[in-house]
Amino acid sequence: MSLRRIRAVARKEIHHIFRDRSTLFLVLFTPTLLLLLMAYALTVDLQDIPIAVLDLDRSEASRRFAAQITAGNDLTLYAQVESPAEIEALLVRGEIKAALIIHPNFSADLLALRGIPLQIIIDGTEPESGGFAVQHVGRRAEAFVTESLAGQLQAAGVPPEALQAVDLRVRTWYNPSLKPRNDLIPGLLSMILGFPALSVALTLAHEREHGTMEQLMATPIGRWELLLGKMVPYILVGLINTIVIPLLAMAWFRIPFNGSFPLFFGLSAIFLFAILSMGIIIGVFMRTQAAALALSFLLIFFPGFFLTGIFFPIAAMPEIVRLESLFLPGTHYAIITRGIFLPGIGLDVLWPYAVMLFFLGLVFTGVAALFFRKKLA
Amino acid sequence: MQRPIIQTAGLTRVFKNTRAVDSLDLAIQPGALFGLIGPDGAGKTTTLRLLAGLLDITAGSAEVAGFDLGKQPEAAKARIGYMAQQFSLYGELSVQENLRFFSDLYGVPSAQQAGRSERLLRFAGLDGFKDRRAAHLSGGMQKKLALACTLIHQPQILLLDEPTTGVDPVSRREFWNILTDLHLEGTTILVSTPYMDEADRCSQVGLMYSGRLVVCDTPQAIRERIEGEIVALHPQDWQAARRLVAGLPGVSEVQTYGETLLLIVDSARLRLPQIENALQQEGLVYQSARQAPPRMEEAFISLIRRMESEKTPHPEAG
Repeated sequence: MSLRRIRAVARKEIHHIFRDRSTLFLVLFTPTLLLLLMAYALTVDLQDIPIAVLDLDRSEASRRFAAQITAGNDLTLYAQVESPAEIEALLVRGEIKAALIIHPNFSADLLALRGIPLQIIIDGTEPESGGFAVQHVGRRAEAFVTESLAGQLQAAGVPPEALQAVDLRVRTWYNPSLKPRNDLIPGLLSMILGFPALSVALTLAHEREHGTMEQLMATPIGRWELLLGKMVPYILVGLINTIVIPLLAMAWFRIPFNGSFPLFFGLSAIFLFAILSMGIIIGVFMRTQAAALALSFLLIFFPGFFLTGIFFPIAAMPEIVRLESLFLPGTHYAIITRGIFLPGIGLDVLWPYAVMLFFLGLVFTGVAALFFRKKLA
Repeated sequence: MQRPIIQTAGLTRVFKNTRAVDSLDLAIQPGALFGLIGPDGAGKTTTLRLLAGLLDITAGSAEVAGFDLGKQPEAAKARIGYMAQQFSLYGELSVQENLRFFSDLYGVPSAQQAGRSERLLRFAGLDGFKDRRAAHLSGGMQKKLALACTLIHQPQILLLDEPTTGVDPVSRREFWNILTDLHLEGTTILVSTPYMDEADRCSQVGLMYSGRLVVCDTPQAIRERIEGEIVALHPQDWQAARRLVAGLPGVSEVQTYGETLLLIVDSARLRLPQIENALQQEGLVYQSARQAPPRMEEAFISLIRRMESEKTPHPEAG
C-alpha cells in the first residue's frame, strides 16, 4: 500500500469537494439544513393543546383551579362542557386532545386535605400530546395546591406532596424541562452527521459515469489505496460538521452539552468511518449516481431514521429488526450522542459502542475492497 | 525480428451473447506505430481495454511488455499508458494538478516530476495553461492534456482508443505530430482510429472485423490489396452516371465522394475506354476520367464490403 497514492486520491477528492459547488453544498451545508428542518418539523414541543374541562364541583376553588391549569400557553381551554358525553364527542372529532374532569367533591376534599380527585381523559391515538397534557396538569395542580393551601398545609403539618394531584411517577431523567428536543436532537445527529456517506457513494458512481474510473483502473493503484483515498477526505469534511452541528444545537436550540467535547469528536470520527464504509459499499456496487442515491436512501437513511432508535425504541421492535439495527452504525452512535450531550457520560460507559462502530467500519470497508474489482465489466 | 512487445494468442472476450473479440492473434513489435482500424462494433475498443488489463479475458492469452495479463495485470499497467475513448480528466483540477495526480498514481520519482511535467506541457503546447482547470480547456487541448497524463510515467507502450475523434483537423494534426515524435523516440503505440489518413501515418495497420483481425500489414501493402484498379470519374450528372457505370462489365464497385465517382475495375487500361464510350453513348458529359492511385479509404471500404458480402450468404455463420 502506497501512502503517496492514498494522499494523491485524497487531495484530488478534496479539490473536488471544495471546487464543485453542488458537492460542497451536499457535504458541508446539508447537515445544517437538515438539522434546522428536522428539528422544527419533528420535535414534539407541544403548545396550545386544546382541552375541555368538565367542572362537576362548580365551586370558587374549582373555577380558580381550571383557570390556572389553562393559564399558560401549554394547554388551551377549548370548551367548558356539561357532561361526559360532550367530552367524548369532542375527542372523537379530534377537537380536543385531552379532557379534565373536576369531581363534585373537589373543594371539600381539597380543604380537608384529603387529596385532589381529578380525572384526565386523553386521546390514545395521540399519546404524545395526551401524555404531555397529563404531565402538565400534574405540575400545575401541584403548584396550585402549594400556593392556595400553603397556610392549611402548614397548620396541619402535611407536606404538599401528600396531596399530589396526579401521581405521575414519570421519571424524566436528563430532561427535567420536559423538552423532547433535548432528547431528539442529539439522536438526530446520528443521521445528520452521517450524510457524507451519500457523497462518498456518489463520488465512485460519478467516476464511473464520467469515465475517469476507467482511467484510474488503468493505473497500478491498489483497491485499498483508492477506497481509503476516497474515504479520508469525507471523514475530514464530516468532522467539520461534528463541530458545527453541536454548536448549532447548543446555540440555536439551547440543547445542553454536558459531556466531553474531545470524546464526542473522537467517537464521531469512528462513526464517520463506519457510515462512510457503507457509502463505499454502495459506490462499489452501483454503476450510476441515480442508483447509488436510491440505494443510499434504502440502506443508510431510511434504516438510520427508523431502526436506530432515534424515534422508535429498539426494544419494541421485532427480534430480527433488533438484530439488523445492531449492524447500523447509527444505532450505536445515537447512544453515544445522547449519552454525551445530556447526561455527559464518558468513555467508561460508551466504549463498547465505539468498539462496535470501529468493527462495523472494518467489516464494511473489507467487504467493499473484496468486491471492488479493477475491471470494467 | 525482436520478440513482440504486445502478443495475443486466441484472445477472446465474450459479452453475454456477442464475441466482441474473437480469437485474436496479434503481434506488435517494439517501437511500432500500429493503427487499429475497422467499422464500429468491430471490437477495437474491447481489444484495447483487454490489453490495458481492464477486462477479464474469456479465452486465449495476452502478453504485454513481457507480463501475462491474466496473471500480472498490475505489473503490465505500470508500463502502459492508456487513453480511453471518452477520456475524461478531472475537470475541477488544473492542468498541472491533473499531471501531478497521475504522476503520484504511477509513482513517478518526486525529483523527476517537475521536470517531466514541464517537458510534457511544452511538448503538448500547454505550457501557457498550467493553472487552468481541465474543464475550461478546448476539446483538442483536453486530448493533449490527456495524452500528457498518460505519458507522465514514460510508458513503453501507449494504448490510445480513438484519441482524435471529435477533434478539429488542426488539433488532430498536432496530436499526430506528437505521436510521431513519440514513435521516433521508440515508444510502441497502438492506436485505434476511424480516420484513414491517420491509418496511413502508421507503420503497421490491422483491420478488425467482427472481433477478428482480418488484415494486418503496412499501409502501403493494404492499399495494394485492393483487387483491381481505380478509375476516378468527374461527371456532370453524377447520379445518372453512377447508375450507368455500376452496371458496366469489369466494374466491381462504385464509391461516391461528393460528385466524384471512384470505380473499382479489374483493369483500368482495359475498362477506361469502355467506360468513356458508354458515357458518350448515353450523352453524359464528364470533366475527366482517369486512373487514380488507391488510397487507404477505398482499400478500407472495399475490404469491408468484401467481408460483408462474404458474410451475407451464410447468415448462420455470423
